[in-house]
Amino acid sequence: MTPSMVTYDSGGTPPEASATSFLGRTFCNADHKVIGLNYLWLVLFSVFLGMGLSLLMRIQLVWPSVRLPLVSGLAYTPERYAALTLLHGSLMIFMVLTAAPQAGFGNYFLPLQIGARDMAFPKLNLLSLWATAASLLGMTISFFVPAESGLTLWVASVALFCLASLWSALNFCVTAIDLRTAGMTLPRMPLTVWAWFVTAILGSLIFSILLAACVFLLSDRVVGTHFFTVPQVLAGLMPAASLQGIPVLWQRLFWFFAQAEVYVAVLPCLGITSHLLATFARKPAWALRAAVLALCGVGLFGFCIWGYHMFATGMNPYAPLVFAMLAESLGLPAVILLASWLGTLWNGKIQLTTAMLFALGFISLFVSGGLSGLFLARHDLARAAVNDEFVTGHFHLVMGVAATFAILGALFFWFPKMFGRRLSEPLGKLHFWLTFAGVYCIFMPMHWLGLAAHSRPPAAYPVAAAVEPVRDFITGAIVVTIAAQVIFLFNFVRSVWWGAKVNEKNPWRATTLEWSIASPTLFDNFGPAEPVVYRGAYEFGTTAFAEDFLPQHLTPEEVPARIAEQGR
Amino acid sequence: MPAAPVLDDIKIIIEDIGKGGGNKPPAGGDGGGDDNKRRPPGPPSARRYRTGIALGMVSILMFFMALASAYLVQRTTSSRWAPVHLPAILWVNTIILLASSATMERARKRLAQADISGFRSLWLITTVLGLTFLAGQLVAWRQLVVQGIYVATNQGSSFFYIFTAVHGVHLLGGICALLYVYRRNFESAKISVSLAAEVSSYYWHFMDGLWLFLLALLYLGK
Repeated sequence: MTPSMVTYDSGGTPPEASATSFLGRTFCNADHKVIGLNYLWLVLFSVFLGMGLSLLMRIQLVWPSVRLPLVSGLAYTPERYAALTLLHGSLMIFMVLTAAPQAGFGNYFLPLQIGARDMAFPKLNLLSLWATAASLLGMTISFFVPAESGLTLWVASVALFCLASLWSALNFCVTAIDLRTAGMTLPRMPLTVWAWFVTAILGSLIFSILLAACVFLLSDRVVGTHFFTVPQVLAGLMPAASLQGIPVLWQRLFWFFAQAEVYVAVLPCLGITSHLLATFARKPAWALRAAVLALCGVGLFGFCIWGYHMFATGMNPYAPLVFAMLAESLGLPAVILLASWLGTLWNGKIQLTTAMLFALGFISLFVSGGLSGLFLARHDLARAAVNDEFVTGHFHLVMGVAATFAILGALFFWFPKMFGRRLSEPLGKLHFWLTFAGVYCIFMPMHWLGLAAHSRPPAAYPVAAAVEPVRDFITGAIVVTIAAQVIFLFNFVRSVWWGAKVNEKNPWRATTLEWSIASPTLFDNFGPAEPVVYRGAYEFGTTAFAEDFLPQHLTPEEVPARIAEQGR
Repeated sequence: MPAAPVLDDIKIIIEDIGKGGGNKPPAGGDGGGDDNKRRPPGPPSARRYRTGIALGMVSILMFFMALASAYLVQRTTSSRWAPVHLPAILWVNTIILLASSATMERARKRLAQADISGFRSLWLITTVLGLTFLAGQLVAWRQLVVQGIYVATNQGSSFFYIFTAVHGVHLLGGICALLYVYRRNFESAKISVSLAAEVSSYYWHFMDGLWLFLLALLYLGK
């Protein structure tokens, strides 16, 4: 590598030299690692706030007479409960599931894994972070102001989040396309990078749709237009006859976004899981090429199946059939990925680290949640057989909890690289098992409750009496599971400052480029020389010498030298 | 419809295997084997701006398609639909915007001939034409307001105001880019003046085409 090839993408001068104050270093630093970490701090705040809100909702459902601070303190009305649900949903979906695997880990590790010095447009990246933070602030504040203006503020915050996601997605796409280092061809890209890339493409398409819907909604609320006339109808200002077709427009725009948004959240998790499985099973990812195609397939089908949320609304009679077929065909890439995971595990030398446990937990939850999705994709079944609680169980299992497991797995895996310390493994395992059992105890009975609501038992059979203990059981499981998260918080906070130090570059003996540099990462990533990649991302299980893997940056000349070194 | 992109992906991967596999350390800077065929050559630092603007245009197109599909749906189903008679000044505005695209291309031609002063004056004319277009759009709004047609009067007028407003905001972004190219001292910049002019010209022509599309939609939809 000639010295002239060394370019500092973030403007030539290291930000550490220009910004000396803590605030300047932390919040005005366009370095991708700092931005990625800042996203993760936002996520940490949002996930605990969101979890607290879910606890409040449960208490409200089980003991409606209890007066709770946030629900009853301001005004005790059904709208407060709806606002609680809205805040819980928007924090968890936007700020946790969308931001953590993509913006958080993606920003930190995409450039490192492809051998780049930064994202393609660092300043745009910083702008996205600020917009996301402002959007989080707006969403949270909207809960505490009167409902009318609060809702407007919420819509504006969502619009801001759309903008941030669009900029971020643009950055990811360009970085993955143009900033790969020498030798990092597409087949050599790690599956994580593929997943971030496909997610970014999907995100750059669908967040535009939600932004358009937000523009209409904001103009309805602020300038008084009538794109979606429901509020006016409810207020008696318009005849109900004119309602025809108008909420359907909102539903179309919204579901076009929201169904694909599920895959924006899940896709990076699929990539992370494949990556962790290969690393901790010490085997090449099985059927790597098929897995890559399956990731692309999930993105593609995920973009096309939005219509199946509208079976109940009514649409062209042929449309449900088409959407049902598309939705069922999403099973194909999912099964390919599952086969790839099982093939990777088969005969592997499995190391049950906490990161691996979370990856395995992800597979378990993804499969059990995904199976109930097959019922929901059948338009005839979905309309007749299930109610909200089935959907709640399905959705939380496959999207919320499964994705959270992948995020936690990624955190345990990359923590040494980010902080130069380790998370405690015993505490991590305790947290894993409590959470794993807990989420099944919460969401599996919900499926059953959803089915029971539509069953037609003999007249004398007391359904309500049978259902009541199940609800109590769920409540108990929620309390235990949320309490278990304190273990994680303790482990995390303790390890960031006082965890066991990691002195080696590659504690997990992984192959990708981020493990070829010091832990914690250096400011300029790879030092003065550009890394060069010589092989695929998952060359595990080589028997040539004592170490069972070949890192991507190992030159062909170094391999025999290593073998000789080991043989001596 | 879903088959084509998948096949594309397969093709990319197959091409890539053919070119990039093995132990050969590829020559510097070139990431994937398929990159050369699709994009103009250049160091990655230059390529990223072209890729970025292309992907950005796809996102923006998606945004306007969502607006346009809502327009088409509402036009046929809404009971509150009333057509908007487009003010005549819109046609003048359209000609001004098309003229700005023409002067921009002439400016870039001057730049390619290393005629910097010619480039700068034509570039400034382009910017002024863009600002004139925006002023013309405001005049069109004014004329509608005088007729008593406001944004909330009926759904047709709502769409008219929304379309022109969001297009105007995007065009304002383009004007910022033009001013950046005009004012920036490219001695110290990471991007060269010709690349900056090229990238902003793509965006500008795109805004031009988008306006023609919106105008056709409003005209035919009335």
